Amino acid sequence: MNNYSFYKDGKALYCLIFMGMLLSFSSVCAKNFYRNNFFFIQQHQIQGTISDGSNPLPGVTITVKNKTNSTAISDYNGQYSLSASPQDTLIVSFIGFKTALILVKGRTKVDVQLIYDTTTLQEVRVNAGYYSVKESERTGSIARITSKDIETQPVTNVLATMQGRMAGVSITQTTGVPGGGFDIKIRGQNSLRSEGNTPLYIIDGVPFSSESIGSAQTSTSFPTRTSPLNGINPDTIESIEILKDADATSIYGSRGANGVVLITTKKGKQGRTKFSINTSTGAGRVTHFLKLMNTEQYLKMRKQAFINDGLAEYSPLDYDVNGTWDQNRYTNWQKEFLGGTAQITDLNATISGGSENTQFLAGGSYHTQSTVFPGDFLYSKGSGQISINHQSNDSKFKFSFSTGYNIQSNNQPSFDLTYDARSLPPNAPALFNPGGELNWENGTWINPLANLNTEFKSKTNDLTANTIISYEISSALSFKTNLGYTSLFNDETRVVPSTIYNPSLNVTSASSILFVNNTGRSSWIVEPQINWKKDFESSSLDILVGSTFQSQRNNRNVQSGTGFNSNSLMYNMAAARVIRVLSNDETLYKYQAFFGRINYNLYQRYILNLTARRDGSSRFGPRNQYANFGAGGFAWLFSKESFFKNSKWLSFGKIRTSYGTTGSDQIGDYQFLDTYTTSSAIYNGITGLAPSRLYNADFRWEINKKFEVAAELGFHQDRIFTTIAWYQNRSSNQLVGLPLPGTTGFNSIQANLNAVVENSGLELTLRTANFALKNFSWTTNINLTFAKNKLVSFPDLETSPYSEKYRIGSPINIELQYNFKGVNQQNGIYEFEDKNGDGLITFPEDKQTVADFSPKYYGGIQNQLIYKRLSLDFLFQFVKQKNKTYPMGPAGMMSNQQQRIVNSWNQPGNSTPYQIYTTGYNDDALTGNYLLDESTASITDASFIRLKNISLSYNVPLKHNETQLKIMIQGQNLLTFTKYPDGDPEFLSYGFLPPLKVITAGIQLIF
Amino acid sequence: MKAFYRITLYALFLTTTVIISSCESFLEVDLPKSQLASSAVFEDYNTAEAALLNIYSNIRDKGILTGTGQGISNTLGNYTDELVSSETPNNFSVNFYKNSLLPSNTTVNGFWNASYNQIYAANAIIEGTEKSQNLTLEQKKQLQGEALFIRSLLHFYLAQLFGDIPYITDTDYKKNSSVSKTSVAVLYEKISSDLKNASELLPLQYLDQNRVRPNSITAKALLSRIYLYAKLYESASNMASSVLNQQEIYTLETTDKVFLVTSRETIWQLQAGVAGRNTAEATYFTFTTVPPPQVSLTGSLVNSFEPGDLRRSGWIKTVSKNTAVFYHPFKYKENNATTVSKEYSIIFRTAEQYLIRAEARVYQGDLIGAKEDLNKVRNRAGLNDTSAVTQQEIITALIIERRHELFTEQGHRFFDLKRTGMLDSVLGDSKSGWNSTDNLMPIPQSELTLNKNLMPQNPGY
Repeated sequence: MNNYSFYKDGKALYCLIFMGMLLSFSSVCAKNFYRNNFFFIQQHQIQGTISDGSNPLPGVTITVKNKTNSTAISDYNGQYSLSASPQDTLIVSFIGFKTALILVKGRTKVDVQLIYDTTTLQEVRVNAGYYSVKESERTGSIARITSKDIETQPVTNVLATMQGRMAGVSITQTTGVPGGGFDIKIRGQNSLRSEGNTPLYIIDGVPFSSESIGSAQTSTSFPTRTSPLNGINPDTIESIEILKDADATSIYGSRGANGVVLITTKKGKQGRTKFSINTSTGAGRVTHFLKLMNTEQYLKMRKQAFINDGLAEYSPLDYDVNGTWDQNRYTNWQKEFLGGTAQITDLNATISGGSENTQFLAGGSYHTQSTVFPGDFLYSKGSGQISINHQSNDSKFKFSFSTGYNIQSNNQPSFDLTYDARSLPPNAPALFNPGGELNWENGTWINPLANLNTEFKSKTNDLTANTIISYEISSALSFKTNLGYTSLFNDETRVVPSTIYNPSLNVTSASSILFVNNTGRSSWIVEPQINWKKDFESSSLDILVGSTFQSQRNNRNVQSGTGFNSNSLMYNMAAARVIRVLSNDETLYKYQAFFGRINYNLYQRYILNLTARRDGSSRFGPRNQYANFGAGGFAWLFSKESFFKNSKWLSFGKIRTSYGTTGSDQIGDYQFLDTYTTSSAIYNGITGLAPSRLYNADFRWEINKKFEVAAELGFHQDRIFTTIAWYQNRSSNQLVGLPLPGTTGFNSIQANLNAVVENSGLELTLRTANFALKNFSWTTNINLTFAKNKLVSFPDLETSPYSEKYRIGSPINIELQYNFKGVNQQNGIYEFEDKNGDGLITFPEDKQTVADFSPKYYGGIQNQLIYKRLSLDFLFQFVKQKNKTYPMGPAGMMSNQQQRIVNSWNQPGNSTPYQIYTTGYNDDALTGNYLLDESTASITDASFIRLKNISLSYNVPLKHNETQLKIMIQGQNLLTFTKYPDGDPEFLSYGFLPPLKVITAGIQLIF
Repeated sequence: MKAFYRITLYALFLTTTVIISSCESFLEVDLPKSQLASSAVFEDYNTAEAALLNIYSNIRDKGILTGTGQGISNTLGNYTDELVSSETPNNFSVNFYKNSLLPSNTTVNGFWNASYNQIYAANAIIEGTEKSQNLTLEQKKQLQGEALFIRSLLHFYLAQLFGDIPYITDTDYKKNSSVSKTSVAVLYEKISSDLKNASELLPLQYLDQNRVRPNSITAKALLSRIYLYAKLYESASNMASSVLNQQEIYTLETTDKVFLVTSRETIWQLQAGVAGRNTAEATYFTFTTVPPPQVSLTGSLVNSFEPGDLRRSGWIKTVSKNTAVFYHPFKYKENNATTVSKEYSIIFRTAEQYLIRAEARVYQGDLIGAKEDLNKVRNRAGLNDTSAVTQQEIITALIIERRHELFTEQGHRFFDLKRTGMLDSVLGDSKSGWNSTDNLMPIPQSELTLNKNLMPQNPGY
């Protein structure tokens, strides 16, 4: 209802503005006529068009130099007219462009092409969370992408939009199955706990918990449990800011240690009502397959393995070689199981507009994506958003409301076929009988496609709503409250029907299993703030104080049911004969804080920014609930000093530095309590109680100290703009689930460890406007990060549980390895360096070679070329890193191998890279292969350069200027250059589908 | 309009003030619904009992004694000469069958980690009941007795699998994370003394009708086995006698009734989790088509029975198609749920006590007494008295009898071959993957990484 009236307001205002403009034109003529008569100076009428080289520019102000009364504004076609004398000079100015001075020289038609002024990028206000700051006056380190960067990418996950685009932000996709997750690290890994490195996500001021939803029982399609971040719709995002250093993150205190991701959604703008419709469709495929053996090579390996093991005959169970299976059959299982094409469709529409006082935006989008697996599986996502901004006539009272609602529905095989695709013998039987039903080949194999019957279904609904109310009490003092609410429901099911078994086993629906997980999460936040701001003669002071109250409740209910009368009833828990509640829990997390900021700006050149926060969290024991965090940042805009003021080449120069503390409370709830938990097991009629954990009531906050120094330089009107930042973050008081030996009864305990982890690095960004011509412009953005991670200290590392995991002075993302020497020419077994010389390969003495998996450097090169109406945008992402090869198990057993393994040892004197085949009876070879996977031989260069994103769009010329039609082709991961031999270099989890390459075509219509 | 703004503003100030003034208690959160403070658990017998019984469910579902394929009934059957694994992809039993275990083997890691987790829970019961104010002395005795029994049982099996292992008697993680190994001989002493305590604390009568909670005799049954393994033959035969003398409670059943829930031969069994469920053993071992999907009995075992042995006909099932013949253990027959549970997993039964006493008697020179006990087991299986005469013959006959009586029951075959030093001679011939260092399993790699005091790794890994 409200919507409608705002919309009407918008229309009315739109009419008013238009009328006003008409009037202003007429008055120009009137005045000129009057002046003509009065001054008797020869004046004449000048007409022309203002453009940016390709499009007309409306709303441009044209004035005549030294004549204050002579002014015109260009209309929608960029046309203007005003009267001036032939000797006059026109001043043409417009925000975002360089002001042009044009001599009339007696002409009556003066067309002006304005040049884009990159310097004004410094005027952009950057969201810093509790406050916003002008780009030029920023003291902290904030990276930013906007909807312009997001729109060119055919992706559905918010983290995917940032991949390769920001210095210091490393993002890796963990699976190519839609609905899966991403891993993000902002300035490296700070915490020894791998799960304690996620940043804080804030959508329009409301914290969005990234803690996984779903259950290990249901979301088996993914390497990790379902991530709620999929609920954020990239289409609705106006900008993403990543806060990196202490100056920017300290105001988030205990939750800022791993950086803060601020997401701002699109808002309505004052002006005519605008409709925008975007639709695209495309396809995705696997980027790289492994080179595996064909049947001939495979059987040759198998037969040799039997010879090597001294086995004279094949056992009745060795179907692949004993003749049970066709020895001439060949199937490329990777192609069969992963070679499909994922269909992608995307549609989104928005309507926006508003008056001076009230603006609105409403939008909706729909996205579907199928998979590369055989079978009908679909991920779909629908979302809606509404945003309303209103201010009173005196601009003192401001109100803004925005809300987004997302529904995701995912249906995937609960079993990733990637492992089978790589290991199944190439002569394994056909998948289907001639009749079309699954072929079980007389029970000699487990048909992998039967696993497609075990389905994973997920429905996630989430709502984020946020209201900001502010009132300007006086020109200096204003009051603001931010109110937010999030709610999320996730229903996941996984079924294991009897049809995954060979029908001849007579497994009935009585054995079918249903797993159901219901997760609910809701949170609210209230953040009252007072802001006092005063401008003095040569300085200004800005003070902010505020507080936060936040509460988050999680419910989870996991059940399993078995014993169904029919598989068709399998999705109904009520139809199960036996129902077990695996877990039913509700947890509460409460958080409160007081924060403040003092910003002092002297001469617009020296800026001091102080922030502080006092945090309390229910995740800690009574004595350790509160902690203080704070930071100081300083910036010097030296280009504004008198000695640079008139510099021709230096257009902008700033040096900034910051130092401060942040913390982390990412440890889960109630960890400090000594409790028993109801278990799902029943014995003798009594439901059991199990000890919840080893408890430690005394653990405290993890502290992260951050230091940064940076220079930002702009040359030649900022056509070349570069930032060089060096940072050093030290994380201490490590809050770890201290791994414990099993003899303690558990595998870990929460504790603070006096270890220090240091992340340091150099971040470079360079933006160049290579060409800015009338019909052609070319800009390049480069970001490059050299990151270093180091374990600085770790008391008693040698005697601690981490003694064989970390090395002081080395990164924490290392693994200790055996040093691979090659294949012994005499016995054909892999050999490793015997470091302690005891004649045996033993752990840990010989497993001491450090292999580092953290990227050495990474970055992206983005180019944007615009020729007339054609625009090309492409991004190359590059990462220098090492990774492990894909472990295939000992060669010679009933499992396929990489093609390169054909080159293996088979008689004394052979010099080969791979060891002797075995059917599994050669203990030495098994041990050799086991050690190989933990040796330097398993480490390989996994660096890559990838055409992460390419987008080509054409702006169709239309007669009606208010209508824009754009045709786009977009691609993701289209090209990858890498030496990595085992599939996609960007993978973290074995046996899961790697990221896909995607290409889509679409149309955008705005009117 | 102005008034409205002003009111809104005041309202906001007011709420803020209220919230801030109440912030003292803001961070207090209640316990989650599914959790109970540990101290409270042991102030109420019902909750303390729930904590204890949960350990039995845990033992039934995870680790060494579980009847699923992950337990030792299957894995050690494969490891010795009882079972053969089908080499289908993902069949974890294959590594046991080929005696090619690695320190990273997840099943072996499961033996270790699950057992110590169960031991922790038992120790928590002992400590919790000691501190308790409200539990009566009788209640404390019952809970502590059962907990002591559980602790002894698990340490016993760990020692059989891994050799020297740490003996854990409390919940102090600081101490237990750097604990050292204890030699098997010392372990046996400690376990024996705990079991003696347990047998004194526990009542003779079962608390339930199906013998799913141990009584004092259960502790003695384990004790007699430990004495036998430790070659303390006098103590072993005395202890077995104190079990077998309880004739009003324990009798040998006919072969078709031995494995039923109501069997009077059972000393202690693990109840199925849900009413109507039967044993995980039956589910895992049973197959109806050939080739068998997971494991089947070896021909050498099946063919070694004497003619007329009721155990060959009653406890083994033949599945064949054309010329392919396979066998599976058929001690437990119900591989699906039934209206009322018919079978539970039996951990201790009377027949073993006869065999223990027979062996103990033989080594003490009481050949007549030994044959008497041996014949009880043979006669029940429909066989005549043993033809063995000399001490050595009886010893050999006993090993064969144990093989036939106790096959695929919690690794008896492996333990028997091991304690009699016959592993290499028996398995070295029949299994091409066998090495003499395979008598011990590898200590999980992660354990050695986290606790150097557990070094060195067992030989051969």
